[in-house]
Amino acid sequence: MSSTDTGNGIATGPAATPGRRAFPAAPASEVIASARRAWLTYLGGMALAFLPFVVFVNDAHWLNIIALTYLMGGLAASWNIIGGFGGQFSLGHGVFFAIGAYTTAIFVTRWGVSPWATMIPTAIFAACVAMLISWPTFRLRGPFFAIATLAFNEVAFVLANHAESLTGGPRGLSIPFRAGLANMIFRDRWAYALLMFGFVALVIALSVWLRRSRLGYYLLAVREDEDAARAAGINVLAVKLKGMALSAGLTAIGGTLFTMYLRYIDPPTLFTLPEVGVKFALLALIGGIGTIWGPLLGAALIVPFENWLRSAYADSLPGFSLAVLGLLMVLAALFMKRGIMGLVEDLLKRTRRKP
Amino acid sequence: MSARPVSTPMLEVRNASKQFGGLRAVDGVSLSVQPGEIVSIIGPNGAGKTTFFNLLTGQLVPTEGEVRYLGESINAVPPHERARRGMGRTFQIAKPLIALNALENVMIGAFLHDAQLGVARDRAYAVLERVGMAHLAARRAGELTLSERRRLEVARALALEPKIVLLDEVMAGLNQAEVGTEIELLRSLHAQGLTFLIIEHNLKVVRAFSERVIVLDRGRLIAEGTAEQILNAPAVIEAYLGAGHAGRGAEVVA
Repeated sequence: MSSTDTGNGIATGPAATPGRRAFPAAPASEVIASARRAWLTYLGGMALAFLPFVVFVNDAHWLNIIALTYLMGGLAASWNIIGGFGGQFSLGHGVFFAIGAYTTAIFVTRWGVSPWATMIPTAIFAACVAMLISWPTFRLRGPFFAIATLAFNEVAFVLANHAESLTGGPRGLSIPFRAGLANMIFRDRWAYALLMFGFVALVIALSVWLRRSRLGYYLLAVREDEDAARAAGINVLAVKLKGMALSAGLTAIGGTLFTMYLRYIDPPTLFTLPEVGVKFALLALIGGIGTIWGPLLGAALIVPFENWLRSAYADSLPGFSLAVLGLLMVLAALFMKRGIMGLVEDLLKRTRRKP
Repeated sequence: MSARPVSTPMLEVRNASKQFGGLRAVDGVSLSVQPGEIVSIIGPNGAGKTTFFNLLTGQLVPTEGEVRYLGESINAVPPHERARRGMGRTFQIAKPLIALNALENVMIGAFLHDAQLGVARDRAYAVLERVGMAHLAARRAGELTLSERRRLEVARALALEPKIVLLDEVMAGLNQAEVGTEIELLRSLHAQGLTFLIIEHNLKVVRAFSERVIVLDRGRLIAEGTAEQILNAPAVIEAYLGAGHAGRGAEVVA
């Protein structure tokens, strides 16, 4: 009876809500962190990430691990742009990584071009390839998309093995040691570590920017619900393609740096899933998928841990490190859906709520 | 029907049908919505309401006939483009972006007109105030109640600054007090000049605020008129209650 009565009231006036003003509304500027705070957090986080470098700057063994951690952190953060923010669980990022690696190696060995000069065009090339192969794949949702990207990785592996004139096939390509800043080849490991740090700093800066941009919000909307995204006027395919292009381009830059650090690449190094395509996703998953710091955090934990596992069990239990990582991935997927960053957030929330 | 203004209708459906294999879910339906109107579409379960709604939003394309918006056929226009042109919508099962807070949910809509975070944020906040949800701005959408989620969807649609809003059973599952608040909100938005097309199962709700009601049954349009006319139309009572209940329209609403 009372509900029909509501229909006969006055047709004008603002919508009154019972119980509104129950507690004062936070101003909009407090609900979304200010740009200043976001960039201060960024600087703080990067300073923290730089600390191990300062501590171990004279230790070649640790510098190697630190350089790889920065590199893998940057690659996982690149993956996170489409895999985390955009929710498109790609396992085929090895392809873009390899594009960066091979293009650089080919230009350096054949024509002596500086990797600094090829890095950006290579990234753009990888972004174009990524859009081309993603176009049909993005029609697939969830696990089907992941499987399709997995297939791309395997196809690229076979192609790289066969295109001997270009990639050197199974023999691979090696880059002669000619030290110099212009060649991106250094005598000292600390220079490589610094280079990798620059890479991860760039990718995370882009993530901070993206998370506060329209494209970033659109990627999140696409991840959360494609139909709702469309209802908000979002061209879902275009947003996915843009996110993928950015992610793939950055991954290719990581491939360039990786090549110049190792100075030798071959198909197994670039396409072995647990080392490359799946690794990026694993690090982001463990650290906190879809968060800004998760991928680097994941790398900081897993890369040194894996390194230790490998050296400790290489002879007695070969492949043991893979088994442990696989187990970790399953545990993270089951019990820590939002990764370590999710745990940290929950803890912060709990302590804040306490009076 | 009574004389209507001859201006271009905001939304017009001309003889639209949708065939799924052997099932004709929507069968030759025509209607037009004038600027500033509130039109409701009702019908018993399985009447083809949702299919018809999906033809309007672009989720489905009619097998025959056409959907026109502002004098132009939009049969080939995809859903996101319809939203860009000013057709806001909600979903029968609310689709909040649960990992984002309420303000960010509305910002997703507000970004359509401005790429700047600060502008989209303030605009979204103003929309939340307009629907009485500003105090929930920081709350994760996943933690909102059903009625708050529904309202958040309305807010997200409003952030597009739409010309027309298509509502798909926004009242379903709400208690009486919530339905009352919702009706009040829609009325105030209508008073501000917004056009609505509403799919609703509940006749009570329709009677409370709709100017014109269209009844679908088994995919066909069986009646059109004011709420009072509709509630007493024998065809409608038959559709809802079965044959032999003429004159018991009041019971449907009671």
